[in-house]
Amino acid sequence: MGHRDFVHFYVNGKEHRVGGAAVFQTLSDYLRQDLYLCGTKVVCAEGDCGACSVLVLDRQRSQAPVTGSGSAYKAVNACIQYLYQIDGAHIVTVEGLKAQNAINAVQSAMVDQNGAQCGYCTPGFITTMCALAQDMQAGVSACGSKDKYKDKTTCIKDALTGNLCRCTGYEAIIQAGLAIDLDTFQPVADLYDLASIDESLQSTRQQSVSIQAAQRLVFVPADLDSALGFLAGQPGARIVSGGTDVSVNINKRGLLPDVILSTCLLSKNDATLTAITLDTASNTVIIGALTSLKNVEAFFAEHVPEFARVLWVFGSPQIRNAGTLAGNIANGSPIGDSLPFLFVAGATIDVASQARGRRSVAIDAFYKGYKQLDLAPDELIVGIRVPLTQEILRLYKVSRRQHLDISGFTAAFALSLEPTAMGAVPVIKKLRVALGGVAATVLRMRQIEDRAVGMTHDATTWAILGEMARSAIDPLSDVRGARDYRLTLARNIFDKFYLETSETGTAPREPICK
Amino acid sequence: MQIGHKTPKNPNIPHDSAIGHVSGTSVYIDDMPPAHNEVFVEIVPSPVAFGRIRSIDTSKALAVPGFVGAYTYRDLHHNKFGPITQDEILMAEDTVYFIGQAVVVVAAESRSAALAARRAVVLDIEELDPCLTVAEAIRRDQYLDRTYAIKRGDVEAAFAEADHIIEGHFSIAGADHFYLESQACIVYPQEYDQIVIHSSTQNPSEIQHVAAHLLGLNLNQVVVITKRMGGGFGGKECQSTHPAVMAAMVALKTRRPARLIYNKDDDMQWTGKRHPFENDYKVSFTDAGVITALQARLYADGGAYNDLSTAVVGRALTHIDNAYFLPNADVVGKIARTNFPPNTAFRGFGGPQGIITIENICEEIAAYLGMDAYDVRRANLYGVDERNTTHYGQLVANNTLPELFDTLLESSQYRERRATIDGFNQSSLTHLRGMAMTAVKFGISFTNKALNQANALVNIYLDGTIQVSTGATEMGQGVNTNIKMLVAEEFGIDYDKVIVMATSTEKNNNTSATAASAATDLNGSAAVNASRKLKERIAEVVAQHFASTETGMGAYPDRIVFADGYIYDSRKPSRRITFAEAVNLSYRERVSLGERGHYATSGIGFDWSLGQGAPFLYYTNGCAVSEVEIDRFTGDMRVLRTDILMDIGQSINPGLNRGQIVGAFVQGMGWLTTEDLRYTRNGALLTHSPTTYKIPNIYDLPATFICNTIQNDNKVNVRGTKAVGEPPLVLGISVWAAVKNALSYVSGESIPTLNTPACNEEILSRLTYYKRLLERQDNNNHAFNEGFYHDEASVLLPRARSHAAGRAVRSNLSGKRARSKSGKADKGVTA
Ligand SMILES: Cc1cc2nc3c(=O)[nH]c(=O)nc-3n(C[C@H](O)[C@H](O)[C@H](O)COP(=O)(O)OP(=O)(O)OC[C@H]3O[C@@H](n4cnc5c(N)ncnc54)[C@H](O)[C@@H]3O)c2cc1C
Ligand code: FES
Ligand code: FES
Repeated sequence: MGHRDFVHFYVNGKEHRVGGAAVFQTLSDYLRQDLYLCGTKVVCAEGDCGACSVLVLDRQRSQAPVTGSGSAYKAVNACIQYLYQIDGAHIVTVEGLKAQNAINAVQSAMVDQNGAQCGYCTPGFITTMCALAQDMQAGVSACGSKDKYKDKTTCIKDALTGNLCRCTGYEAIIQAGLAIDLDTFQPVADLYDLASIDESLQSTRQQSVSIQAAQRLVFVPADLDSALGFLAGQPGARIVSGGTDVSVNINKRGLLPDVILSTCLLSKNDATLTAITLDTASNTVIIGALTSLKNVEAFFAEHVPEFARVLWVFGSPQIRNAGTLAGNIANGSPIGDSLPFLFVAGATIDVASQARGRRSVAIDAFYKGYKQLDLAPDELIVGIRVPLTQEILRLYKVSRRQHLDISGFTAAFALSLEPTAMGAVPVIKKLRVALGGVAATVLRMRQIEDRAVGMTHDATTWAILGEMARSAIDPLSDVRGARDYRLTLARNIFDKFYLETSETGTAPREPICK
Repeated sequence: MQIGHKTPKNPNIPHDSAIGHVSGTSVYIDDMPPAHNEVFVEIVPSPVAFGRIRSIDTSKALAVPGFVGAYTYRDLHHNKFGPITQDEILMAEDTVYFIGQAVVVVAAESRSAALAARRAVVLDIEELDPCLTVAEAIRRDQYLDRTYAIKRGDVEAAFAEADHIIEGHFSIAGADHFYLESQACIVYPQEYDQIVIHSSTQNPSEIQHVAAHLLGLNLNQVVVITKRMGGGFGGKECQSTHPAVMAAMVALKTRRPARLIYNKDDDMQWTGKRHPFENDYKVSFTDAGVITALQARLYADGGAYNDLSTAVVGRALTHIDNAYFLPNADVVGKIARTNFPPNTAFRGFGGPQGIITIENICEEIAAYLGMDAYDVRRANLYGVDERNTTHYGQLVANNTLPELFDTLLESSQYRERRATIDGFNQSSLTHLRGMAMTAVKFGISFTNKALNQANALVNIYLDGTIQVSTGATEMGQGVNTNIKMLVAEEFGIDYDKVIVMATSTEKNNNTSATAASAATDLNGSAAVNASRKLKERIAEVVAQHFASTETGMGAYPDRIVFADGYIYDSRKPSRRITFAEAVNLSYRERVSLGERGHYATSGIGFDWSLGQGAPFLYYTNGCAVSEVEIDRFTGDMRVLRTDILMDIGQSINPGLNRGQIVGAFVQGMGWLTTEDLRYTRNGALLTHSPTTYKIPNIYDLPATFICNTIQNDNKVNVRGTKAVGEPPLVLGISVWAAVKNALSYVSGESIPTLNTPACNEEILSRLTYYKRLLERQDNNNHAFNEGFYHDEASVLLPRARSHAAGRAVRSNLSGKRARSKSGKADKGVTA
């Protein structure tokens, strides 16, 4: 089948086919400047404020058409979605939410509770809250797991960590969330004729998109073979999945990739690339590379809540709706939040290329230096495998602000103890420790791990191990923390881990929504 | 004549733009559709903090497709301006004084072309040695404006007799306004060199004045219109002027509409912040914790130009007492000239920096005496009948502070919770808690007397609907809603019959900035005055209409009542006409149905040559208790609970006021906790976007949040109300003070010190310090008393080091005075 030379999507129920240089613009610019839909605001242009939040319906080919409630529409940051990332999507903006020309139940709750002051953040809150209302109707918590959130207020906060407001102090917005009349709220999916939108989008969906304009080339493959074929011919093409890293670098750091491969259509057409399954025989979780962090979070909330806890403070719902685990791994940052866990869990990365087929790399062999990966220019990450164990697991993220902040320091511990007689101090059988934010890559602390084996699980031991960590690392100072701060954290995190996992520990884990 | 009116039912109506906001239809500057021949404007800023311009090369910009023009200061008529002292240069001439100062302005056919042209301009600048700290400015002896001082009594005598003295140094960090809508304007050229400027500004008249002056126009050639702002917080009081004038220059040069929109990164790097302060203080007090004298030297970092720094320092000096009586005071303020963007107004306007100084002192006295800081504060609180004049001589009238303190102590269960915290800190190995109650007594009125006036235009139309125009600008605070309600209530008509129009210098001339929390006070009063004049005229007509020889009812306008949309004579309410009918009657009688109202605050004044006077019409009061929990290993902090109690008089719209209180509190908390402005050693801001500059997030709201007001009728102000915009920001200090209180549980014999912002890094640095101090107990313990930033390899500007300044040590609790080792507070400045 030949290639399409346009991306195909819907905005508020209207069809758009965009080709040429116009696809190299952000969705927010397209909405504001081409469509004059100025309700969507741009404040930061890097995913960090939520003012540009719009709703996206991205559907798997296998899915039945959505109607009524159900976690169908997801909020994403339009400022870091380029048009080549939204092929096959239905976008709904703040202008597209009114039912019969009247404001909906979310909007009227925000009016009644004074949830808007200057109003600049408001459209972003409204769209995000409509996704929340739709999820609440379906009995799904913000993290995507079924109806397990502690209370409604927590659920509302969880849904809105990606939206900043400088005026209200949020109290009124939380009140508005509580006041949404879910009985009268009409899910966004009911406002549009999704069946015909679906039909129209299906018609182009088997065709890959190839657009060359202004000395740039973007390819949106419809299937994995086309993707690998393209990479074979264009090694080093910039792969864009959620774009929550790449698009920020384009907007803010002068990145201007000549050749782009966008995985958005792939993620709709190839279910294996978005599936998360537990292989019970090997007790291993197999994660499709293109599944959203939101799905990963929901899955691990059931199986490894400690990892879900880290994902809970990973970016924001908007970032997790768009971003992928593969993107976090391939981004290669030493402060990538998923990495310490993947290191101590002993994850493997599955990569594929046309020339060499598939191969697997252990995560700690994957990083060779600052942003240097064991990933050939013609390779695509297709999956991540995470073995599950019964060890004591603790993951830590330290950032200036708890939510929507990049880490200054991260740590992961996986510990198993020798069975001991009642009352005796347990002895360490096996330990794996990884620290992030202290070097050019996440570090497995092998010396510490080896030293720990056979030591008693007591305060003295962990103090010794903490001192070892402090002297083993050589962190830098930057805006996210001074060197001494990171050294102190590396030292202290061992004490903290000990107190949280020993009998004497008095530290309860902070509650999370799941 | 007092014509009656009745107040309608529910005053909690939504913000007048609420429906537009939630629908995405409210129009902000950059949402205005582009005119077909519009040009886009970009600024080429100075990349260095201080330097001499060797050359400017625009040749490559000229080659950019779509390039329209490039302009420098030579294209301006004048280049110097300033709201208080006229020391500011709009566009650099031969020298640049801060990063972000405009050097060249470019215009192009599209946004992308303008950006490309901006990037193509090559500046060759010889870097000079910038002044990037207050300490360095003091060393270089470079100040803006003169020194300001307030004195009462004899501090030296009080010090000589004192039971105890503490002295120290306190560093207060700045903060970015982080209004979501960055600076923005569009300018439309008109006939005969007239221009219309649409600006996101709190101060249309200021833009009008500066634009006219710098572009060589008369004031009547410049119209400035502000529909609304996507947040202001003081940041658009003076600094929206710069883009507006530069865009206006382009509009006049090109004869085309010109649009200039800052992006967030540029905005944060180029515009001024809340003033950082470096304060030295010395305080004496009795065994019971009663302050006998305060000496303080406040050094504000003014940045490169004065902007509003004079007034900011003035407010810091008049607020350093906060809620506490200072029998002897000697406070002096100076403005350091540094190479940062001119620091500017920010909600509270120097008040918070003065107030946190004394709140910090209260915590220190408590830690020193081993008292609960609540008791120290209560012992020093302004009295109702005595100890009730400020250090600048104003009577603290209608003083609700004691009532607020006593009520909140009970309702927050302060004492019980204190006992719980004591126990928790004893037993928890992992966490540490702290709690503090702090206060606010915020003076309302501009300290510059002339600004305390306003005018309003009220036009009544024949269908009985009304348009009101005032100088107040809407930035989300709800001033338009308040004014609409005041006017509707005057006429006894439904709120939705009144619209408050976009602010325009065409309708309201010579207006004051929407600032000092006084917009509703001043503009609302002016609108009420205009309404009352109209009511008088309508009442005359209606009285005539109702007068009848048959019933023997004479025409008495005094008896005419405006209520529920009707007008009637109070003697015969059944015979009534609608407001619209009354308006029509008046029209037919050829009575004017439009009116201007003027208002000037009476009875205020201040003389800086004496440092004495009564600058404020009244005070808005409040207090807050916050409790925090700190992770002992990471320094992570969260606010468990905050209780706020305020006296805001009679509320016009309680719902909007609550939004002001909560929003301001959270903003104050952000300033003192997570908002960490960090600069390179060359003075470049590193935290110039929300990625690294962390304003509070929804999860940072205290887990339990209780906010109440007390009943009080503020007779001196319109409808018994009190201003509420700024005062609650100050209550964010309770969070910071609670952290300091938590540290006192682990600081042994030392009074704990804490910088602002108390982010996790700062907190962990203090925890680590006290841990080592207690572990070592050696003589040389100040060697590591510097926080984490003593690292020479660091690329960052070292943070201020208040820690190193030393403090009184709780060495002798039996009543002997303790002295700090440094004696730093004494170096002082002379007035
Ligand atoms: C506001 C904001 C907050 C954030 N918060 C966090 C946070 O808290 N913690 C954190 O760790 N990160 C955070 N990030 C960073 C980012 O969201 C994550 O790294 C995310 O996992 C990236 O996933 P993505 O799919 O969006 O990656 P993309 O941006 O699409 O890609 C990232 C990198 O991976 C490569 N890549 C993507 N997919 C593949 C593939 N299948 N095979 C090979 N290479 C691939 C790309 O070429 C690129 O180099 C944040 C980002 C933003 C904008
Ligand atoms: S504009 Fe801030 S997240 Fe998009
Ligand atoms: S209402 Fe102004 S930023 Fe939220």
